[in-house]
Amino acid sequence: MRKLILIFLMSVFASVAHAEARLNVVTTLPWIGSLAQELGKDRVSVTTLVKANQDPHMLEAKPSMILAARKADIILYNGLDLEIGYLPLILVASKNPAIMPGRPGNCDCSRFVRVIDKPATVDRGMGDVHPLGNPHYHFSPGNILKVAEGMAAALADLDQANADFYRANFEAFAVKLREKRKQWSSLPLNGKRFIAYHRLFEYLAADFGFRIIGYVEPKPGIPPSAAHIERLIEDMKRSRPDGILTTGIYGKKEAESLSAKTGVRVIVLPNDAGAGKGTDDWFSFMDAALTSLR
Amino acid sequence: MKKFRSVSGIFMLVFALFIATAFAEDPEERMNKLEETVKKQEKTIEQQQKTVDSLKEEMEKQKASLESDVSSASLQTGGLFGGSSLTNPNISVVLNTFMYSSSLKNEELDQRGIPGFTRGGIERRRGFNLEAAELFFFASVDPYFTMYTTIPITEDGTEVEEAYVVTTSLPAGFQIKGGKFKGGFSRLNAQHPHVWDFTDIALPYRAFLGNEGLGGEKGVQLTYLPSLPVYTLLGAEVLQGESNLLFGPDAGSGPHAFSFFVKSSLDTSDNSTLYLGPSVLFGKTKNTGLVPGSVPDLGAEVRGDSALYGFEMVWKWKPSSQQGFILQSEYLYLSQEGDLKDFGATIVEPLVRRQDGFYVQANYRMNRWRIGGRYDRLALFSDAFKLAGTEQDLGSTPWRATGSLEFIPSEFSRIRLQYTHDRSARDGRENNEVIAQFIVGIGAHAGHAF
Repeated sequence: MRKLILIFLMSVFASVAHAEARLNVVTTLPWIGSLAQELGKDRVSVTTLVKANQDPHMLEAKPSMILAARKADIILYNGLDLEIGYLPLILVASKNPAIMPGRPGNCDCSRFVRVIDKPATVDRGMGDVHPLGNPHYHFSPGNILKVAEGMAAALADLDQANADFYRANFEAFAVKLREKRKQWSSLPLNGKRFIAYHRLFEYLAADFGFRIIGYVEPKPGIPPSAAHIERLIEDMKRSRPDGILTTGIYGKKEAESLSAKTGVRVIVLPNDAGAGKGTDDWFSFMDAALTSLR
Repeated sequence: MKKFRSVSGIFMLVFALFIATAFAEDPEERMNKLEETVKKQEKTIEQQQKTVDSLKEEMEKQKASLESDVSSASLQTGGLFGGSSLTNPNISVVLNTFMYSSSLKNEELDQRGIPGFTRGGIERRRGFNLEAAELFFFASVDPYFTMYTTIPITEDGTEVEEAYVVTTSLPAGFQIKGGKFKGGFSRLNAQHPHVWDFTDIALPYRAFLGNEGLGGEKGVQLTYLPSLPVYTLLGAEVLQGESNLLFGPDAGSGPHAFSFFVKSSLDTSDNSTLYLGPSVLFGKTKNTGLVPGSVPDLGAEVRGDSALYGFEMVWKWKPSSQQGFILQSEYLYLSQEGDLKDFGATIVEPLVRRQDGFYVQANYRMNRWRIGGRYDRLALFSDAFKLAGTEQDLGSTPWRATGSLEFIPSEFSRIRLQYTHDRSARDGRENNEVIAQFIVGIGAHAGHAF
């Protein structure tokens, strides 16, 4: 028995020592995890709370998330109130003062971003509107560069022994992103017109010069009524858009039925890194998103 | 006119001569000259391009530095609860209202206690009911505390159901909650009525704690979340103990109720989570809530010590935001020893209670619809009510069966239709209830715990 206890204690100490060696990074969304991994490499251990197949708007603060936050040295999140339903609860329940707002262990990635779609007036009658602006900026290479820079600075600030390592990784990231942007900008997306299920692709449209001319959802987060679909079909017959954009997590069924009635093709984009084959990191996620639009 | 013609003729001739002499020059030499000029121009263009490039680069740099100035200027984050809540706390109002119909009359509902458990009847009225308009306020106080208040406004007036602070800066997984709050004993207790999966609280809660559970209690709670591989929350509370069914405001001269609880959780898959734990709530008892006594106007008082043990179990499966299943069950066991003083008969007799109860409920949600079922029952394994050493016959086993159908237009509104077949009064008389409930919320509402 005594031996067992000894072994248990030793394994606990071993795991503590192991945890000490790396910076414990907790991220909400998969793409943030991918960036953190890219910047921290083997000096960080990344835990991602939200799975790629989960709707980041509608999640519950599971105890396992609270436990992960309890062990975190830093929490990196999307911000702009996207995680408002669960992140405050996770932070308070984690009983981990290091990741509370205002501390270096709390990094809101949206603060490095040029936010678009910020509504002048907000009312819940307008649906699930984000009063701070469109939070889905992970589709924007320009903004992601800024986020990566800010993230590297946050990691360097917290783990100063490895500060140069994080900065060097950011430089490499920036070079890679520059190359990728050259590739992406040659894609013939300029001037295309799409219908989208949710207001998810606004940054993508702004960065790559296409337009979203209608939404399947009448208001953000509100499922479409028959009358709304009817009107949309009429509009689409006239405007002949290049596709109906949606993701695997919601709106696929509605988009498919709309496609059957109008003959406009459905384009399923990955909603985040890890959603679908070959989208393991942010780069391949963007590759998949953009090539699907061609 | 003639003169003009001759002048132009001469001019043409001179021009022709000029061209002729030009072409008469060595063509090779001309080609070389041209080439040289082109080369010179090429060089100039190259130099100009270089200047343009360096200018561009400089501009980019300036732009980038401007941008990073922008990002450092917007360094202030949105705060713990998002948005900006510097001058105002987050405020929300949740309206909980329902229409009630029953096979019993209002007077019968009033008297419908659970013999051996509680003499409190059903407070609902046939027709329209307003449960409450609950006011919630919350915000960070400073870097060390956050504060929450819950003020239900009912037709009887307002009360402070909860008003407490939670620490946010204690190290090593410790947290203190203080003020008036819903304690951590068992599961339904800590939830607000608008979060319950059914209109009313499960039978064991009504039997041991009252129609709203223990409710808000004044006191202090300490919780500890160790850094283990599995989520395990440990908690302890010291409470004033003012519940009129389990404790009583005058049962002790100071705080006289205490609780310990453990909440443990494990993800059974990516989409499903198991949550369970034991808890105990114990303290001194002095109240008149148990039995009416021989003269109901005078009543009867219980004095003694009570311990309520609970075990909760929840399993949630949520494959997508549109679909989900929750299975939930709790078991409560009461051990109470003391005296029963009957004011009408002016006798005091020793009282021993060993009673239990449980419920099991399931809810399934698909898109905007949700169906649910619940079975709750008392006297499952233990039904001892000994007065002066004699076992009392209190009637048949109390139980209920409930079904519900909900329509959920958005996360801020919910319409529920509920049917309950209630045989909890132990006298063979059943109560068939139909409830149409409407719950809506406006404002900034804090997320609900798992």
